[in-house]
Amino acid sequence: MAHIHLGEGTFPLWALALWTTVGVVLISAVVYRIRKGGIKTHQIALAGIGGAASFAIFQLNIPVWGGIHMNLTGLVGILAGPLLGALIALVVNIFSAALGHGAVGLIGANTLVNASEAIVAYYAFKTLMQLDWDTFPASAGAATVGLSSGAILMGAIIVVSGVNGSALPRGDLTIAVAGLVGLNLGVAVIEGILTGFIIQFLASVRPDLVGLANRDSRGDTTGVTA
Amino acid sequence: MQRWKQYSGLAGLFAVCLAAGLWGFTSTGGSLPWAKRSAKTLQRGVQDGGGSLVDLGRGIVVAGPIRKNGFMAEFIGISILFGIIGVGLYLYADRYRDVDGSEHMNSNP
Repeated sequence: MAHIHLGEGTFPLWALALWTTVGVVLISAVVYRIRKGGIKTHQIALAGIGGAASFAIFQLNIPVWGGIHMNLTGLVGILAGPLLGALIALVVNIFSAALGHGAVGLIGANTLVNASEAIVAYYAFKTLMQLDWDTFPASAGAATVGLSSGAILMGAIIVVSGVNGSALPRGDLTIAVAGLVGLNLGVAVIEGILTGFIIQFLASVRPDLVGLANRDSRGDTTGVTA
Repeated sequence: MQRWKQYSGLAGLFAVCLAAGLWGFTSTGGSLPWAKRSAKTLQRGVQDGGGSLVDLGRGIVVAGPIRKNGFMAEFIGISILFGIIGVGLYLYADRYRDVDGSEHMNSNP
């Protein structure tokens, strides 16, 4: 659920330029990779549904840990892949900022944070599956690790940038941000477990969607037949 | 890999994250919504706070900037639009695969 909820003008101008530039470079690289390598049709479909679910749940505060929202970026990364996952992070942040949830100037920084969650979750899931883990622990662990990495990146961005108007020296700011990162790690467990259940369910009914079966081999269902 | 090793690793990861979360919860203001917690913490530093970890009475609410600025219709509209696009793409992909058995598109020569 890592997301920088600070208003416009909170970061100095150089920081806005830096994170926006890095975000543009990341998205440019993603688009280049997609155009060069192509994407599979089912990934586009999953990206569409994942983007819709991520945007909707992004705006809902749940009454846990004081009041937090989830991102589902780990789930999106595992299902749609790292490239489309990064693009979904951009789209969700643009629309969220347009509605006032997150500053427009921080779209670059927030895209970096959420894209890192999707990318790390995807590769962690692939690695754990190659190590012959079961679906639930692999997906729950991968999502938790991905979201944790996003939280740490969020903290690093805030500490490196500094906060305009804050009375805190850099050392105290680092400690304060560490508390926010810590809270995010706790939230990552909740979202990781949710992701684990969703991936496990998908793996049981459509293993091809999570890359656990040859898509061409799908055909016979075990559902009720006439 | 043996199942007990998998779940032991997962439990260890969860334990570390939950411990960090509990520390972050108490040190940054207790039961404060995330946006208020961020602003308060980053302006004034770490402060001890209490409150319940789970507050079911608060319910699930839409994010403050959307709710208070009257963007509920826009939020619902965009969510529905995204949902329709997502389901449409899913149906398209399913039908596209069934027609010619191929799912690779946008491939360069």
